[in-house]
Amino acid sequence: MADTLEEIQKAQKKYILIGLILFVFTVVTVAVATVPWLDFGEHGFDSKDAVIGLIIASFKASLVGAIFMHLNHEKKLIYVVLVLGVIMGIVLVVLTGWSFEDPIEYGDSVEGDGFYNPAETVNQD
Amino acid sequence: MEIPYTVTARKDTGLFNSKVGIWLFLASEVMLFGGLFSGYVFLRIYADYPWPERALPIVPGLINTFVLIGSSVTVVFAWAALKMREWRRFQIFMGITIACAGMFMVLKGIEYKAKWEHQAVRMDDFAIIEGHAHYGAVMENGEVDHFHTKLEAKKAGGGKPFKTNKILFRPATIDFSVVRAHEPWIAEMLEQAGKRKSKLVTSGDVFFYGHIEDYSGTESDPLTGKDRAKQEAKIVKEFGKAEENLARKFGKNSLYIPAGTPLDYGLIKKARKAYIAGRAHNAETRTAILKENWRRVKEILPEKEYWEQAPVAKIDAATQLDEQFDDQGNCVSGSKVVSLVSTLSFRMDPPQPLVIKRSWIKRPVKAKDGKAELRDDTTLSAGDDQDQGAGLLASPVALSVDAIDFRWMAQKAEEAGKEPMEVIEQSWIFSKDNKHHGDYEQIWKVHKKRIGELEQELADKYGKDAEGKPKRVPTETDRYRVTWQDLVHYARAKKDSLMPGDAGFDELRPKFWDGFAGPNHKDEEIHKLHAFPELEVPHHKVSMQSMFTPKWNTYYAIYFTLTGLHGLHVIGGAIVLGYFLFFSKGLYRRNPEWLANRVEIGGLFWHFVDLVWIFLFPILYLM
Repeated sequence: MADTLEEIQKAQKKYILIGLILFVFTVVTVAVATVPWLDFGEHGFDSKDAVIGLIIASFKASLVGAIFMHLNHEKKLIYVVLVLGVIMGIVLVVLTGWSFEDPIEYGDSVEGDGFYNPAETVNQD
Repeated sequence: MEIPYTVTARKDTGLFNSKVGIWLFLASEVMLFGGLFSGYVFLRIYADYPWPERALPIVPGLINTFVLIGSSVTVVFAWAALKMREWRRFQIFMGITIACAGMFMVLKGIEYKAKWEHQAVRMDDFAIIEGHAHYGAVMENGEVDHFHTKLEAKKAGGGKPFKTNKILFRPATIDFSVVRAHEPWIAEMLEQAGKRKSKLVTSGDVFFYGHIEDYSGTESDPLTGKDRAKQEAKIVKEFGKAEENLARKFGKNSLYIPAGTPLDYGLIKKARKAYIAGRAHNAETRTAILKENWRRVKEILPEKEYWEQAPVAKIDAATQLDEQFDDQGNCVSGSKVVSLVSTLSFRMDPPQPLVIKRSWIKRPVKAKDGKAELRDDTTLSAGDDQDQGAGLLASPVALSVDAIDFRWMAQKAEEAGKEPMEVIEQSWIFSKDNKHHGDYEQIWKVHKKRIGELEQELADKYGKDAEGKPKRVPTETDRYRVTWQDLVHYARAKKDSLMPGDAGFDELRPKFWDGFAGPNHKDEEIHKLHAFPELEVPHHKVSMQSMFTPKWNTYYAIYFTLTGLHGLHVIGGAIVLGYFLFFSKGLYRRNPEWLANRVEIGGLFWHFVDLVWIFLFPILYLM
């Protein structure tokens, strides 16, 4: 936490710098998605573009967190609270994913992959 | 009361209390948005239709990202200014922050508005057409005409213009469910009928039995005095003198509606009351009959167990008994269950077209059925007048097209093991049934040529792999989707097509991939180019139509959920920060450090809102 006036004065330059970096990386992320010669992977959008886009976004988000939200020097309690929140967030994602792995079979599925597919259903009449 | 630790830190945590509070809140927000982001991921992974990649205009999203990042910087500056006790500086930076929030919401509003202005149609062959719905108007002679704009439709003098995504039905009769009929829809139908100088009147006499409290004789007839005389007079008119006594037993809330009574919701409400009263009577009567039956069964079969008595004492046996009346017309024995009338039938005189929203419809309307069922159990039917033009009118979705999209059709074709291009070229858009098919064939020819060029270009540039296949190929979007931006290139060149590499291609090519930075729609010349040939998708080919709203597909559902919730956060944050700016001078004078802490907390929330957008922008706009 920037406590003294000098520190706050000094930090302001840092904030501007971070702001500029964020601007630049916003342009980068758009460029990666739109400029043909910056197109990674296949032509057009694909998983590589998604990964790159998310890496840039995560980098930007961590800058915001670390500098603007002062997470680079916070008290322990804040980290505990935040980490718990993140863990619970991940749990929510995993739980959603889990529901897609539901092994219950629907109808009279011939293939038996666990997912309902009308085309596979045997007509018993 | 003094709130502890708002200015100074607690010794054990090393933090002032509100900071712990905001972080607890932000942690819960992480979970909230985390859950929604995972919703996005799973909707996308398991989508059974081509996900609309990069479907949103990038530039407004990009500007909004700049705006939010900028406001994140200014909000820390506002906080720093307070720390240094510079009120004026604080005001400036906080003012900029709030202005940024306003700008964000304005841009978001523009973006949302466009979603409601664009019409999308999914045809029964999975072709998707995007554009702007034309306006229709019902002319004075009852004919329906279509116009490009609302203004033109209004000028044509055909009453209230309507978007051509609706259904037109000319009913001979309309049956309303007395229980479920929806008042606003009735009002709408009445208004339309009134404008077209048509009347809705009951097609026959209807009698509703009410609640008959005691069926044993006329002495306890609930109708008394003037009401009774009135009711009797009506019933005499209806049933004749001979039935007079019978009529008097119809009970409280009973209702007689003669033929030719004009429709209004009050009438339906009265009928509903009578219906419900009659139903209550029947329920009570059935219970009484059943009780009586049980009593008798127990008398007749006293030695039997109750499960053996039960089948004998069934309710139907009692209700099926014929009513017996004495010469006074009093019911002396038999069924006391009255017959219920649950629908009120109205005649439209003369039959005029009614404009029905597709969202009112219960199940698909087919011309040959001669009827349309609404979700409130109202049935519009052509009846015997089908020969005279009653029934479903041609209700095409007529549009100025922005784009045609065959990605889903191609996907379906591949699933069925067919060649996508063949399936597309045999589809309705290119068939003789489409009166603009020539134009579309032309567009498709040009488009195919362009895709061929693109294929070649990619193969030349990136080479081929070991198996001889090109390393890079055009995407599904390139191949199966043609937008007005693509057309701009062709049309401006004043020749068949303009290909990448041709002179002038680059200046015409929109700066951004999906073309938002392309020609402005207000530019007259561009406006003409913007328009695809029109399309009139016949009613029976429309399998779904919608604006670009959550109804259209799961992409727009999650888009509106995520951005809507984020927008609410922006508004909430701006309100809190605005409070600090406009109503905190007093606190600043009394205890500036406290205000600085408050601004820090508000700022933390604001940064979080920025952080969420940093993820929303790429996943919704760029992926």
